[in-house]
Order: sequence, then structure tokens, then C-alpha cells
Amino acid sequence: MTPELVKVAAAAADNQWGAIFPELMLACLALALLVLEIALPKKLHVYIPDFALAGLVGTLAGLIVNFNSATLGHETFNALLRHSPGGQVMRAFFLLVAILVCVLARVSLAKQKMPRIEFYHIVLVITGALMLLAQSNHFVMLFVALETVTIGFYILVGYFRQQSASLEAGLKYLIMGALSSGMLLFGISLLYGVAGNSALAGHSANALHYASLAQFLVANPHNFLASAGIVLVLAGVAFKIGAFPFQIWVPDVYQGAPTPVTAFLAVGSKAAGFAVLLVLARDVFASYDWLVIPVLTAMAAATILFGNIAALTQHNVKRLIGLSGVSHAGFLLLGVVASMGPAAHVNATGAVYFYLFAYLIASFAVFGVMAHVAGADDSDQTLDHYAGLAKDNPFLATILAVGLGSLAGIPPLAGFMGKFFIFIAAFDAGARWVLALAAVGVVISIYYYFGWIKAAFFKVWTPSGEDNVPRPARTPVDMVSGVALCLLAMASIFLGFYQGPLGQWMSVK
Amino acid sequence: MNPATLNDYVLLSALLFAIGFFGVLLRRNTLVVFMSLELMLIASTLALVAFSRHNGTNDGNVFVFFIFTVAAAEVAVGLALIVALFRKRHTIQLNELNSLKN
Repeated sequence: MTPELVKVAAAAADNQWGAIFPELMLACLALALLVLEIALPKKLHVYIPDFALAGLVGTLAGLIVNFNSATLGHETFNALLRHSPGGQVMRAFFLLVAILVCVLARVSLAKQKMPRIEFYHIVLVITGALMLLAQSNHFVMLFVALETVTIGFYILVGYFRQQSASLEAGLKYLIMGALSSGMLLFGISLLYGVAGNSALAGHSANALHYASLAQFLVANPHNFLASAGIVLVLAGVAFKIGAFPFQIWVPDVYQGAPTPVTAFLAVGSKAAGFAVLLVLARDVFASYDWLVIPVLTAMAAATILFGNIAALTQHNVKRLIGLSGVSHAGFLLLGVVASMGPAAHVNATGAVYFYLFAYLIASFAVFGVMAHVAGADDSDQTLDHYAGLAKDNPFLATILAVGLGSLAGIPPLAGFMGKFFIFIAAFDAGARWVLALAAVGVVISIYYYFGWIKAAFFKVWTPSGEDNVPRPARTPVDMVSGVALCLLAMASIFLGFYQGPLGQWMSVK
Repeated sequence: MNPATLNDYVLLSALLFAIGFFGVLLRRNTLVVFMSLELMLIASTLALVAFSRHNGTNDGNVFVFFIFTVAAAEVAVGLALIVALFRKRHTIQLNELNSLKN
């Protein structure tokens, strides 16, 4: 063999396709859905979403069984990917999100005259890209995975194409998403330019690789172009998590998007931002903590305050949950800040992961109820529609109360423990003034979350004003979504009392 | 005339990026906003190619192909959305697309 061939063979052996088996499974499943749509007779099409759901559950089970796989802690695909315990946790997280999005989609899509199968196809593709994103170890991988996710979301947000609200939300998301991708990309090109410059100390031939870039940044702790690149990259990521001042797209897009997509954006897209941020801020940009920590601290404080105050006046529940999600991003940012720098708290990363799971469980309980309460016009869901829910459907009302209580951080529930862990970590890391603001934010949030619970439990439906529009009929709860909602509510309560193995499992670095 | 140096390229790409950025924020016609978005991506590709040549590594050149692919996908989805929206609303002015509110 010639030396070139030996090199190619070595690179091919480095690929280790087994390491991305779950992602490959999802890709095959996504293609299989389209094939089934062509191959199966029309009356069997209703079972295709169930097939997707079963495939996702199987993939998640496979991932959990192989959690401590041989590649853990190693780089594969010529260092494009790195398999860390945190990455494994996020992979399981995204699979869980995809399962719940499919459960919601079964309820929501049934109310529209829309092709169904493509929706599940795109959800599966996005999930695979999210999982790769959480393990990326190279800026090209980061960019490609992130754009696969984002472009998939453009389609999903505008999916209800008979409703102009959905299309308008899709266009707005596309413009703001492409703007943030542009900033991220320009930041990456600046970092590539300085880190590869042979005139500077510690320059690297592989400047887009995380570890090489981190070494360069240690050697040049106050480079102007590198600082500009870092700020632009952080801005691009801040858009994904909806942090202030990059939250302007949140209320409109959340309102116009179909409810399952709103849930996917609120939980999946936000968690992806945090998975990337934890790796970038803690490992790659670690030597620039003089810049990153103040930027993220100010962002966390502004995000918590803005999200809660803006949510106070919302009457549309999708806008309300969107803006309250902005404030949750602020709490998570506080956890990220606490995990950085010389005063870092050891459990801060674990606290962020725990908060993400608590947020996932509580949010999907609430979104599940929203999917059942919504009528044919998916963007029009107001607090008034919840009047008398406790009487009509006590099951949905109870789930709603548990979900909202957990989001508000009421003591025995998981959301409370999530906030508690983050506050302890932030207190030890010395971010005291942000904590004071966060406490104010929690108090404000209790007000609007309880306004929603009050509407469901204590209000009686009266047709509003002159036009006398009837309230949309509530969808009966079928078995799959009933079991899913029940499990979510029980998990919210259970995790509030007992975090033991989950807490330890996630405090690994 | 001196040949263009790395600084010239970086300045030009920063200028293109700024034009694109403010174009997205200030213009009201969706198609012009789209062109501005593309300008931002082009600014990054110019910077990457210039850095790639100066640094003597090929990563930047290769990255440009990925960016082109992504930009093409983005435009395909974006134009489809614009056409669908125009059929519904008969306008593509951003200030008239304001049906989403509290």
C-alpha cells in the first residue's frame, strides 16, 4: 500500500460508525417512514406515526443500555465528534423530547387537514442532528448540525400552511435564525483566522478543532479578534436559547408555530443551545472567562427579568409559555455561569442538566394539555379557553396544575429542586446580585402561572363580548397521550422528592 | 498598486457583514432582507478563504462548501415560505405581516 492509502485507511478506521448508531437508526427510521407512506395502502397510514414512536422508544432504550459504551471519553471521525457523559445525557434528553413531540403531534395534527408523515420525518431528522450537535467537537460539525436543526425548524414552524399565522411565524423565524447563523459563522471565521495565524504563539494547523482552539486561546489570553469572534459565537448561541437581547423572535414564533413544534422549540432547541454553551464556555473559551463570565452574567440577569415581566401581560397562552421559557433560559444561564471560572461550583453542570430535565417534564405536561384544549386555529389559544377545564376534564386540569406548579417552582415538585440546585451553585460561585433578581423573577412568575391555574379551576366560561364566539371543543384524551401525560405528572412529583441516582448520574463532568 | 493584503480582505468582509446585518434589521421588503442575509454569509466565506490562504491550511476552503450547501437549503425553504405567504396575504412587506399579537 502506498503511504496515502495507509493514511486513508487509518482515517476510515477512526470513523467508528458504531459510535453514532442511535443517529444512524433515526436517519434510517426517517427514510423508512417515507417509504412506508408510498408502500402501504391509505387506510394503514394512521399506524405510521405509531411506528415512528416505537422506533424512537427503541432507540432510547438502546442508548440507555449502551450508556457507558467503549467510545465514551474518546474522539471519533477524525475528532469531529467527542463522546462525553454530558453528551450521552443530552442524547437521551433529545430522544425523550422527540418521543413527546410525536405524542403531541398525534393529537394536534389530527385537527388539521395536512400531510402527516413528513412532519414525523422532519422531527426525526432534527433529533438526529440535535444529538450530533451535543457531541460536536469541531466548528464545521457544530455549524452543519446546527443548520440542519434550524432549517428543519423553519419548515416545522410554517408547517400549517393553510394558516397565515403559521407561515408568518415561519418567515420571522427564518429571518432571525439566519441572522443569528450569520453572526455565529462570522465569529467562527474570525476564530479560525487568528488561531491559524502562524505569526501568533500557539497557532494550530487544525484551528477549527475545539481542543486546538482552546490551546491557542490559553496562549493568547487578550487577543482582540479572538474576543470579537467569541462574542459573535456566543450571540449566535444566545439566539437559540432565547436569551435577552436575542429573545425578540420568541413570542411571535411560539404563537404561530403548531403546538408540538412550539414544544420542540421551547425544550429541544433551547437545550441544544445549552449543550453547546456548556462545552464552549467551560472548555473551549475557558481562558477568556474575563470576557465570557460578565457577558453571560449580565445576560442571565436581563433574561430572567425581561422574560417574567413580559409574560405578566400575556393573554395568549402560547406567548405566555414562550416568554416564561425565556426566563427559564435565564435561570439556566445562571447555572452555566456558576459552572465557570475560578469560583466554579462542582455541581453546577449537574444542576443545569437536572434543571433541563425538570423543565422538559413540566413543559411537556403543559403543552400536552394545550394540544387537547386547542381548537382548529392553533395560534388562537387564550386563557379564556381554559375556563371551566377542571369541571369538564379534571384529568387535564390536574396535569396542568402539576406542570405549571413545577414550572413556577412550587416546593415538592421537580421544578423547585431544579431552581434550588441552581441557586445553591450560583450562591457558592458568588453571583449574589443576580440571585436577588432571580428571586424577584420567581415571585413574578408565580403570579402569572397561578393566573393560568385560576382560569382552569375557578373561572366559568362566558362567551366573550359582542361576537359571541364559541370556545373550541376539547379533544378527548386517548390512551397513548393519557399514559404519557400521567407519567409526566408523576415524574414531576417523584423527581421533587427523590433525585438520588439522576442527580449523581448527571453531576459527572 | 500593491497587491491586496490579508487586512484588506478582512476589512472588506467586515464591511459586507455590517451591510448585511443592518440590511436585515432596517429593510422592510422580505426579498431585500433575504439578500442581506446572503450577504452576511458571503462575508464569512470571503474571510474564511482569505484566512485559509494566509494561514496555509485548507480547512477554511473546505468549510466554504458546507456554507454554500447550507445557504442553498436556507434559500429554498425561505422562498417557499415567501410564495406561500404571498398567496395568503398578497404582501411581502415585513411591516404589514403583523397578525401575531397578544
